[in-house]
Amino acid sequence: MTNTFIALAVPALLLLSAIFILLFGFSSYYSKNRGYYITLVTLFITFCISVNGVGDIHSAEVFPHIFNAMVVYDTFSATFISLFLLGGFLSLAIAKSFIDKTNFFVPESFVLFLFSLFGMVVLTMANELLTAFIALEIASMAVYVLVGLNRESLKASEAFFKYLLLGSFSASFYLLGMMLIYAQVKSTNLNVIAEYILNNDLNSQLLIVAGSMLIMITIMFKIAAVPFGAWVLDVYEGASLPITAYMAAVFKISVFAFIIRMFLTNNDFVQLVFDPLIILGAVITMIGGSLLAVIQSSVKKMLAASSVVHSGYMMIALASIEDIDSSASSAIIFYLFSYFISAIGAFGVLSYISKGTDKLISFDDLNGLGKNSPIIAVSLTIFMLSLAGFPSTIGFIGKFYIFTSAIESGYTPLALFGAITAFISIYYYFKVIVHLYFKESTDVKVQYGYKVSLAFIMISAFIVLWGGVGTSLIFNIPGINALNELSKYAIQSLVF
Amino acid sequence: MNILSIIIFLPIITAVILFFVRIHVNTIKIIYMIVTSIIALLTLKLYINFEQISSMQFEEIHRWISEYGINYHIGVDGVSLGIVMMNAILMPLVAIALYKQRDKRGYWINLLFVQGGIMGVALSLDLMLFYLFWEIMLLPIFLMIGFFGYGNKNFITMKFNIYTIFGSLMMLISILYIAVQYKIQFDVYTFELDKLQNLILTPTQSILVFSGFMIAFAIKIPIFPFHTWLSDTYRSAPTGAVIVMSALMAKLGAYAIWRVLFTLLDETSHEVAHYFIAVGLFGLIYFGISAMRQTHLKRMFALSSASHLSLVVVGFFIYDVYGLIGSSYLIVAHAISSAALFLMAGMLYERSKTYDIASLGGIATVAPRFSLFFAFFALSIVGVPMTAGFVAEVLIVLGAFNYNIYIGFLTATTILIAMLFMFKMISQVLYGKASKATENFEDLRMHELIALIPLALLVLAMGIFPNYFIKNIEPTAVSYTVGKKVFHHD
Repeated sequence: MTNTFIALAVPALLLLSAIFILLFGFSSYYSKNRGYYITLVTLFITFCISVNGVGDIHSAEVFPHIFNAMVVYDTFSATFISLFLLGGFLSLAIAKSFIDKTNFFVPESFVLFLFSLFGMVVLTMANELLTAFIALEIASMAVYVLVGLNRESLKASEAFFKYLLLGSFSASFYLLGMMLIYAQVKSTNLNVIAEYILNNDLNSQLLIVAGSMLIMITIMFKIAAVPFGAWVLDVYEGASLPITAYMAAVFKISVFAFIIRMFLTNNDFVQLVFDPLIILGAVITMIGGSLLAVIQSSVKKMLAASSVVHSGYMMIALASIEDIDSSASSAIIFYLFSYFISAIGAFGVLSYISKGTDKLISFDDLNGLGKNSPIIAVSLTIFMLSLAGFPSTIGFIGKFYIFTSAIESGYTPLALFGAITAFISIYYYFKVIVHLYFKESTDVKVQYGYKVSLAFIMISAFIVLWGGVGTSLIFNIPGINALNELSKYAIQSLVF
Repeated sequence: MNILSIIIFLPIITAVILFFVRIHVNTIKIIYMIVTSIIALLTLKLYINFEQISSMQFEEIHRWISEYGINYHIGVDGVSLGIVMMNAILMPLVAIALYKQRDKRGYWINLLFVQGGIMGVALSLDLMLFYLFWEIMLLPIFLMIGFFGYGNKNFITMKFNIYTIFGSLMMLISILYIAVQYKIQFDVYTFELDKLQNLILTPTQSILVFSGFMIAFAIKIPIFPFHTWLSDTYRSAPTGAVIVMSALMAKLGAYAIWRVLFTLLDETSHEVAHYFIAVGLFGLIYFGISAMRQTHLKRMFALSSASHLSLVVVGFFIYDVYGLIGSSYLIVAHAISSAALFLMAGMLYERSKTYDIASLGGIATVAPRFSLFFAFFALSIVGVPMTAGFVAEVLIVLGAFNYNIYIGFLTATTILIAMLFMFKMISQVLYGKASKATENFEDLRMHELIALIPLALLVLAMGIFPNYFIKNIEPTAVSYTVGKKVFHHD
């Protein structure tokens, strides 16, 4: 399989199957279930195709004559594309019982799902600001609608409207910033911009500085960094659980993928201009997110708030990127993966036990789960431990990489601050464990949905554990080392 | 597979399997007994094969995370041997004593898990591995208090957990910091203790790193200002968890001071030693006085064990061959005695349904065997001659006199405070008139005797033939004092 083939086949397959469902979705033959399975199969196939591009370092512009070097397919994008597809697959697969028990998932929902994935895939391959914007908007538009999927729920409609309004508003900053940059550089290509910045005096680049600040606003909005992340609680609360999982775990990663590409191509510039801002942003994001998470009484909102904290950790790593070889850049990819798998699992468990109802799962709803359904409780415990960064889970290794890279770049206080935030997070994550096991419930044993969903939750839990202690010494299954290697490859392909 | 790996992972793997298998609790108890007995036999073999040298033995090393130079590196020397032996001996005996009372699967599974975790901490020679086990052993205790504790257990287990993890995270930052410094100086990452020794840090750096580690250890032990989690946690924890915490986990904190700080930050440890001697002596008195004022038996034992752990800290920071040997000896001696005492406190509660010291009394008249053992272990904690505690305390006092005559004098006198609270407690609990709670006090049953007699014999043996045990610690202790730079404090 050549790389060009992969680069074309993945988005094309996603689009084709989206259009297929769109065309035939209304016939009585193609019920919700069939749309679901078609999506799942598409995701599986595309994932199988895209992982072929992960193992080695490569980088090439896709049809430079046709696309004018606007998209580039390298190990970096291959890694992220595989992540999105896996994420999409897992969040859908775990949500099987949720989707079956609700009536607001229609064939079009899966079309939107595929469209959003298509947008993300293009976003990671985009080597140019305009393409990135279009891709980001394709993904965002689809996600906006997915948030408001449940038309009967007021909360969902509110969330949809809020997200749409704020999202579009923030996107306009991006356009403005891009315009300013174009005004000076006369190009929107990332490499050309990087070259221009390198060859000219910084004092003459005011437009670029202003423009990139504006772009940063949009990006900070998308990753829900404090002060731009005010939407996150309401939107995550309003969206149905599988969609929340998808947004928190997959959509956020795609934005990070674009930031990393942008940062690493303009590294010196970013360090000079943005490092202080990102450090400040990381600190207030971690403080704000922790404060929000501590006071929540519903698990879903707590997870939403804590996802802000995790953005803060990743911003530590962003600030610590010194050059392409610094461990921070691969640390952030590892951390993205570790957060992704833990968050999908955690939200997945919630959607599994919510039985399709739209209620917010409060801490008290978890009472007695440890006794009634031990497997689910253990999985949720593992995900919580991983999110809290407890050793022997993948979340710990992720934090370990991030803190190490921060110290390596000389930001020891920032790492200390991250550790203190992690310490606060122990409170709200362990609260879940306390409710799972130590509180008695009056409920009798309930039967939850499908075994398939449960199986995928268990697989995620296993990945979380294996990513924390795994080594290829045992059973020859690639462990932490292999994951680390992959993120290294991804980063190195950016300068290949 | 190395014998040490089996010691660490057999209990952990068994615990994980037992969790997923739905079998009757009696079967689980049998499996628990089999596994802990195997571990005990293996450690016995380890003890017999142990050579009296200062270097690491039975080492095993595998690559784990190669980019950061993190290895699965384990080994045993004179210092860790004591804790490993204690862990292996106590676990099956605890089970024998408790096997009738506890009918919950989780209780036994967690105990198994924590045994593996403690073995891991004691044996690991790589800082990341050390940190991993250090955190993992917390989880079963957290669960045990939450499941089987008394009183306001959810709050208390959270408090304990958060408190301890705060320390651990500070330690984590210290670990990462020295690893990065090593990378800067030697251009390669490593978390190996023996390699990190070569690191050269500025005084400020080393003080900061030292404090990061020390916060974690001080909370675990606990040393004076970090003890506020202690008495509540011990009061509400179930007997099994209390024994693990007081006899093993607290000792690991003290052990880690030697293993990590004395290895990595030798000079800094010397420089700050007098503060810790002062804090330790103060803690000895402070916890002693607090213990005297307690009306709750378990809280009293908690504070008494904190008082003795402060003495261990004093012994370590005296930095003398006698001090180091004495403290390591006290770790083991106190582990046995305090485990036995907490075990008997649990029996006492089961029979009289109260921990209130004032409502107990007169047990000696109704239950002579119980009283004999209870008094014996209490006295061994005080350090009456012929018991293990005596040897340890004499050694520490000797070391203290070597360090400085005033410190020696202070140590020798403050140790006596243990007599005050222990004798007071013994007289109130065992003697006097039998109260309502103790009228029908049943004497020790056969299985309880089986559990206690080996412990009592061990205490006696360690008190009468100390040489046989000390010879294992001595080479390591010597290598940490004589082999290194000699410091004089006059």
